[in-house]
Order: sequence, then structure tokens, then C-alpha cells
Amino acid sequence: MAEGDLQPGSKQFPIELDHDTPEHAANWPERWRAIRETTPRAWTESHGGFWVATRLEDLVGIAQRDDVFSTHKELDRVTGETTGGLSIPPVPGIRSIPNESDKPEWNGIRGFINRHFAPRAVELRRQRARNFTAALVDMVIEKGHFDIVDDLTNPLPALVTMDLFGFPLEEWRAFADPFHTMVYTPASSPEFAATIKGLDHFHARVDEEVAKRRLEPKDDLLTIFATGLIDAEPLGYETIHDLAFNILAGGVDTTTALTSNTLLYLSRHPDQRQELINRPDVMPLAREEFIRYFSPIHGLARNAMSDVEVNGWKIDKGDRVLLAYSAANRDPDAFEDPEEVKLDRFPNKHVGFGAGMHRCIGSFLARMMWECMVTEVLARMPDYRVEEDKIESYHTVAKVNGWIHIPAIFTPGKKVGATIS
Amino acid sequence: MRVKIDPEVCQGHAMCFLACPQVFELSDEDGHAFVADENVPPEFEHAVEQAVRSCPEGAITTF
Repeated sequence: MAEGDLQPGSKQFPIELDHDTPEHAANWPERWRAIRETTPRAWTESHGGFWVATRLEDLVGIAQRDDVFSTHKELDRVTGETTGGLSIPPVPGIRSIPNESDKPEWNGIRGFINRHFAPRAVELRRQRARNFTAALVDMVIEKGHFDIVDDLTNPLPALVTMDLFGFPLEEWRAFADPFHTMVYTPASSPEFAATIKGLDHFHARVDEEVAKRRLEPKDDLLTIFATGLIDAEPLGYETIHDLAFNILAGGVDTTTALTSNTLLYLSRHPDQRQELINRPDVMPLAREEFIRYFSPIHGLARNAMSDVEVNGWKIDKGDRVLLAYSAANRDPDAFEDPEEVKLDRFPNKHVGFGAGMHRCIGSFLARMMWECMVTEVLARMPDYRVEEDKIESYHTVAKVNGWIHIPAIFTPGKKVGATIS
Repeated sequence: MRVKIDPEVCQGHAMCFLACPQVFELSDEDGHAFVADENVPPEFEHAVEQAVRSCPEGAITTF
């Protein structure tokens, strides 16, 4: 046995950590800080055993080694059993691509959709997203109360995602709700299997609409699924399902979580809310700071394909590593006063969108939607105040660090006459 | 000052564009960054240094 094996955090001396629990959800900043300070490269026996990367430098170093670390997920379509992939604990029955694919498969899939999420494509969607946001605020503006999640931060990203796919906008709730529930239900709970079944409706609707696009192409993602080629081949149903799931998963809950956390934080910090209202030029920096501080995606996994050493950290073939973005984003070696929100923090080399080749493809879309929602709320309900005794957070943040309910009150205003169409 | 981006390392975080849109541009294809002119005007040198320190991937170097 090597001398280092008896170090706390080694495989022989693992730490106690299960990040998919209500206890972790309630205390994660303190928990990550303690782990990062004492065992920054820690092994836990939870969920089959995995390493946790809590320092920014280690996390980026691993994420950049896509030659050694895999995210490929093998899915048995009959039993639903999976191996690999980027979820800890594993999510059975589903594969999402391009996220859960390696090169060279990844090149074809990512290249196929990249352009639709690039800055130019996103800017072309901004005005429609603004209109959707104004319409959602119109629905509550005369009442003087709303639920930040139910009435704004859940529907807006869902509507924009529906629009991008080319689904009828009125179907957003049927698509967003099962996913929203899935992300905050612990994988070990009996309800989890039922929420996975709720995604069957999504896949069925994808199949129906793709069949329609084959006969009548439109200008949307469903059309490129129906008519496009990846590596000179038309897309099979499995590829379409896995690709559509990744886009839905990325679209409907992560920006929801980010914006919910932002608006709750600003309700609790009226001075900083006023600063944002007074200095709209700070908005882009503040946006990045909230992404860093709240890390909507708490962490994702990599799987070592061979023995490897990263920054002196020895990882064995077959080991899983959780890239804890939420921990690395508060690494004091990378960020001054990491536990504080500084609206104009810059430089800010956060990994809220991940790192390496799997960097969130929807990052530009997410930023645009966050801007639409925060700008609209600050302009039309600048005195909103969250009813703190009625808020409810996700029971687990292992997947997404979000909120179920955030009711708020504000001085009623007038409609602007926006509609969702 | 001159600046370059390693295209193999850049992943399109776009923090350099946020730091200095006068020097860094983003691809319409994948959002990855590039510089049209590696020569940095003196008035943007500070912003470019901020960009170097804001890149999570460490893809930007000045020389």
C-alpha cells in the first residue's frame, strides 16, 4: 500500500458524501467548502463510488482530457439499464446526446446542431423571447402577486425551447412539467420511475412532428431532425430521441433555476437590486456572477477510460469523477471572496456552463433568456418582494439547483398588451 | 501587445468577448472566439489582460 493511501479522501479512507440528498441540498455551500479545504480530491463510496473534483484547476484539467475521460452512455433500449454517462446517480432509461457521447460520434452530433445555438442564431430569437416575457408578466401584472417559478422562470425557457424545436407553443407545460419534476426528485425515490415515464409523451410527440416535417419541412429543429444528415446518414429514431432529450433537458430547467435564484437573491438584497436598476451596463457581469454563484448544474460526471494522472491526481481506469461545478465556482484559489455575490465581478472564469468540449451548447440562449426575464421584472415590478415563508426549494440539487415555488408580491401595474404567438 | 487564441482549447465560454468585444469575436457556427487582428490597440490592452484571466480554459495568450 502506498503511503498516500491512508490520506483522508483516498479510496481506502473515503469521505461521507451523498450529494443526492435533502441534507446536501440544504447545506451544499458549507459542505463543499469543508471538503475542498480538507480533501479537495475525495473518494466517496456513494452511488457505486466516485471521486469529487472540488477545485477549479482540477476540474478544468479533467474536463479538457476528453481523450481519457468519457461521457459516453451505453443504454440497453429493452431493459433501460445504462453504464457510463454523465449523471451520478445514474439516470436509467435515457441517454442524452451530444452530452453523453465521445469523439468521434460527438463531432457529428454537436456539429449538426451547433449553429442553431450560436450567438447569431440566439440574437435572432431575442425579440420573440422578449415578447413571451412581456406576455407572461401581463398575465400577473394587475394582480400584484405571482409565483416567480410557475408564472415566469418555468414557462419562459419552456416556451423558447418549444419555439426552437417547432412544437406548438401551447404544449409547453406537457413537456416542461415531467422534466421539472424529474430533476428535483431523488433517483432513489419511488416517484422517480413515474417521472421518467412522463417523458414518453415527449418522445411520442417528437416522433409525430418529425414525421410531419418529412412531408412538410419548416424552419425549425424538428425539420433538421427529419431531413438532416449526420456523417452523411439520416438520423434514426434513437438518435432523434436522445438529441431531443438533451435539448429539452438543457432548455427547460437550468435557466429556470438560474433566474429563480437570481430573483430570490435580489429580493433579499434590495441594495444590489437597486444597483442593477441604476446601472444596466452591469447586467452582463451580474449575469455571469449569478451563474458562478448558483451553478444551476450542480455537477456532472466523467468516466476514466484508462489510468491517468491530472495535476498529480492519480485516477484509475473505470473510476467515475464528479466535476462539482458548484464547488469549483467557489474555489478561493480562483475567486476572491467566493461566497459573496459581487455584481460587477470580473475577471470571472467560472465553470457554470461546464468546461472542455461539452461546454453547455445552450449557454448563449440561457444568457439571453435570463436577460429578458430579469430586465422585465426589474422594469415592471421593481418593488417585488418574495414571501419567504412560502418558498420551497428542490429536495435535491444533485442535478439542478432550483426552486419549486417562490411566491412574491409587488405593486400592481398595467398590461402592455403582449401575447404569446 | 499581440493576442492569440488556441482554437483547440477555446470552447466558446465567450468571457473574452464580454471583456473586450473590440478585439474578440464569436463564431456564428459554434460561438467559439477568434481575433481578426492579433495586434491589440493600446487602449484595449487592459481589457485583453482581463480576458486572459477570465478564460476558464486558459485558451488566450498575449505576447
